[in-house]
Amino acid sequence: MNPEPFLQLDRVIHEKGRLALMSLLAASPRLSFTEMRDTLNMTDGNLTAHMRTLQEAGYASVTKAFQGGRPLTTYSLTTHGRKAFATYINLLEKIVQQTKSGK
Amino acid sequence: MESDWAAENLRVIRTLMERSAIYRRALAPMMLLAGSAGTVAATAGWLAGIEAPRAFSGYWLGVAVLTIAGCFLLLRRQALRDGEPLWSPPTRRVLQALLPALVAGLICSAIVLVKVGAAEEKTANLVGLFLLPLGWVVFYGCALHAAGFFMPRGIKLFGWTFILGGCGLSALGAPDVPRPLYAHGVMGLFFGGLHLAYGIYLFCTEKRKNEA
Repeated sequence: MNPEPFLQLDRVIHEKGRLALMSLLAASPRLSFTEMRDTLNMTDGNLTAHMRTLQEAGYASVTKAFQGGRPLTTYSLTTHGRKAFATYINLLEKIVQQTKSGK
Repeated sequence: MESDWAAENLRVIRTLMERSAIYRRALAPMMLLAGSAGTVAATAGWLAGIEAPRAFSGYWLGVAVLTIAGCFLLLRRQALRDGEPLWSPPTRRVLQALLPALVAGLICSAIVLVKVGAAEEKTANLVGLFLLPLGWVVFYGCALHAAGFFMPRGIKLFGWTFILGGCGLSALGAPDVPRPLYAHGVMGLFFGGLHLAYGIYLFCTEKRKNEA
């Protein structure tokens, strides 16, 4: 099997927690901190750490606002993040195809 | 092995993307509100003697507006409590799915309201107090079914109950009871009783899910 697609996988996205967060964000223009935390059953600290990593990689952006007098933190994928996620998916599909075709 | 792992990752990604697009707000309070409003309005409408087709349509459109406003307030309260945006993408998708059938129902009501004035009493009663309420039931069912693609699975089935119930009663024809009683009864049964029943079911199942 050609190991090249596997070696090209983005290490930032590849981590289980961040991959889950990227998947959620890829399907929505933006999601709130609590929506992501409750959907994935993550702790506040864990989610914050993963989102910080994604922000540092330029894959996610954060917006802080107020709704009904309460703080509301929402996240979205950047264009760069969407491209990186699409590339990651394509590589996974290549790996699956390679095995199916017996290469 | 790598392929198994990659395929499993792709499955997880697909599941999470689908979950992200699903509307997650608690529906039980909204169903209970709509059901209570429908039941009370049907009883009050009958007792108040709202019998003319135009008065019936106007009365129930008013009830619908008040119920939608009440549901909106509940929705807003939930969003504030959970620290989530009110107009989240799933909420917008659900609203977009609901709108076509509801707008179609509203346009049909407007046409009936305009035309019924010129019709003779028997025809006006048949259209305004038999076909119109059943049409509302079917249109509402279509709206629920469309929204069900972005909501928990039971909503589509709930939509089908309205569609088949409305069509079934239309096929049976007008029964030998006073038309206003029948019209308010249909509204109370579908918009009151069914919402209440589904709301109670959701209340119990959502509570159990939260406790698990």
